[in-house]
Amino acid sequence: MTRSVVWLFLAREWADTRRNSRVLPLYFIMPLVAVSLPILVALMAPSIVRDLQQRPDQGTAALIERLMRRPEFLGLSPGEGLARYLLRAVSGMFVLMPIAIASTVAAFSIVGEKQQRTLEPILATPITDRQLLLGKLLASIGPTVVLTWAAGAVAILVVDIVFIARSLAAPLPDRFWTVVLLVLAPAIAATVSLVTMRLSAKSSDPQATVQTSALAILPIFLLLVGAFGQLLTFSFPALLAASGVVLLIDVALFRMNVVRFRREEILTRWK
Amino acid sequence: MISAQGLTRAFDGVVAVEGLSFSVPEGALFALLGPNGAGKTTTVRLLMGLIGPSAGSATVAGYRVGSGSDAGSRLRRACGLLTEAPGFYERMSAWDNLVFFGRLYGIPERTLAPQLEHYLRMLELWDRRTHLVGTFSKGMKQRLAIIRALFHDPKVVFLDEPTAGLDPEAALEVRELIARLKTEGRTIVVCTHNLDEAERLADSVGILRRRLLVCDTLQRLRSGTDADGRVAVRIGLTEPAARYTPALIAQPPATGLSEVQATGAILSARSPADAVPALVAWLVGRGAGIRQVETTADSLEAIYLRAVRGGGANGQ
Repeated sequence: MTRSVVWLFLAREWADTRRNSRVLPLYFIMPLVAVSLPILVALMAPSIVRDLQQRPDQGTAALIERLMRRPEFLGLSPGEGLARYLLRAVSGMFVLMPIAIASTVAAFSIVGEKQQRTLEPILATPITDRQLLLGKLLASIGPTVVLTWAAGAVAILVVDIVFIARSLAAPLPDRFWTVVLLVLAPAIAATVSLVTMRLSAKSSDPQATVQTSALAILPIFLLLVGAFGQLLTFSFPALLAASGVVLLIDVALFRMNVVRFRREEILTRWK
Repeated sequence: MISAQGLTRAFDGVVAVEGLSFSVPEGALFALLGPNGAGKTTTVRLLMGLIGPSAGSATVAGYRVGSGSDAGSRLRRACGLLTEAPGFYERMSAWDNLVFFGRLYGIPERTLAPQLEHYLRMLELWDRRTHLVGTFSKGMKQRLAIIRALFHDPKVVFLDEPTAGLDPEAALEVRELIARLKTEGRTIVVCTHNLDEAERLADSVGILRRRLLVCDTLQRLRSGTDADGRVAVRIGLTEPAARYTPALIAQPPATGLSEVQATGAILSARSPADAVPALVAWLVGRGAGIRQVETTADSLEAIYLRAVRGGGANGQ
């Protein structure tokens, strides 16, 4: 029953989203940005590296020196090493993409139910609280994750073609990209959706919900942005650990949402 | 089929409904009447198990309300609910909406489509099934919501304001449908402001304003029979009734004085067929001129207004 309910919500949310002019553009704009950035880096890598090498500053020189000491960059030219590092850094776009999409989709998913007054008929059906919450969660992160993976696959393909055309080894997917795409991006999408679902109980406006959830997830976002420039792009164990922590946060948030879910609250206070 | 004992619900210390005790037998239609904010929707939500009681208990279709998620799930499967607002996904077609809810009810795929076709044709929405619900009129949405309340073949159906906002023709269609449901043996609870609707459809009536002010069969309420089985007899006199007040109080045969009016009186009798001729003879014997005698039924409107204004069926 749970699996069929999840699919049911997925299909329904998608059918609704396809006709939602406020959500649908996000499905095009965000992947476009996420795909463009690594491709631009790949295309412009030679000129970027040349510029950096012709006008070396202390920071760039230290970065290249630090990179070239790492095992995965051994045997590469400083330019190729720097290009691969820049590609690793822009993989962060595939984390920002689900944050932007999942928060909006989740906000519309819950507040939309309020606006259309469909929650009471849903709550009157035999589905359980867990099924309902899991269905709503997966319905909001499912399309986001699929889109993130599709955009990631396109980016990997084009970047590799660009490198191979220059007679260089295909750089992607490396283990950083693999973890970012397969673990961290879905985990962050789930975090954002769970926070948004919880906050939406107190809101009747999707835009306000998106803004409130953006404030709530700002600390996680800043932590990731800050860390991506430093620790997570250098240390694979740190990336794995960060992904694990986000997954644990997701499990805790989901359990909390189920425990604190009150049909009564929804029926009597959601206006 | 439905039994409530002292059902009470408070929200943050504010009592919404209090001490509701009533029962609805299988196949009967119970109309729940009351002004806005009287607690009708809260009562339906309590009986559906959507909210829990603060005190008291209720059993619906054999399931005790508010007794855990599994029992709650079975209770909801046994009931159909027409919510106050239809509540559909406006950007989806009527068919897709019903399929979505049908699957949530766990209706087997092999029966879902024929069942939907049956009801969509019955409520004349078959030709519009592929249209977006957002393009539907209020009446069409209401009919669609009625299908959703029925298509899983529930034993008990709760209809919250089923004809609210419908044009007279659509309201008539819905009333006919409700009457048909009754003949199918379903137990139906209708919340309504429409007294005429309740009078046409209901077997029994509850008038609610936080508490159940009146709860009885429609037949008994309309006959004017009180809880002791006594019927109101209205006597019209040709002269001021005050003249006969001491005599009326004294002991007219087999009757009791309820009210003395300007040129008449209301008395109560356990057996009007025997009591009325004796009463008339008794009054005539004392020189009274009788203008009229009636034991006509109360209208539901009169019963309702008396209850809501005064707190009970007899204005007590």
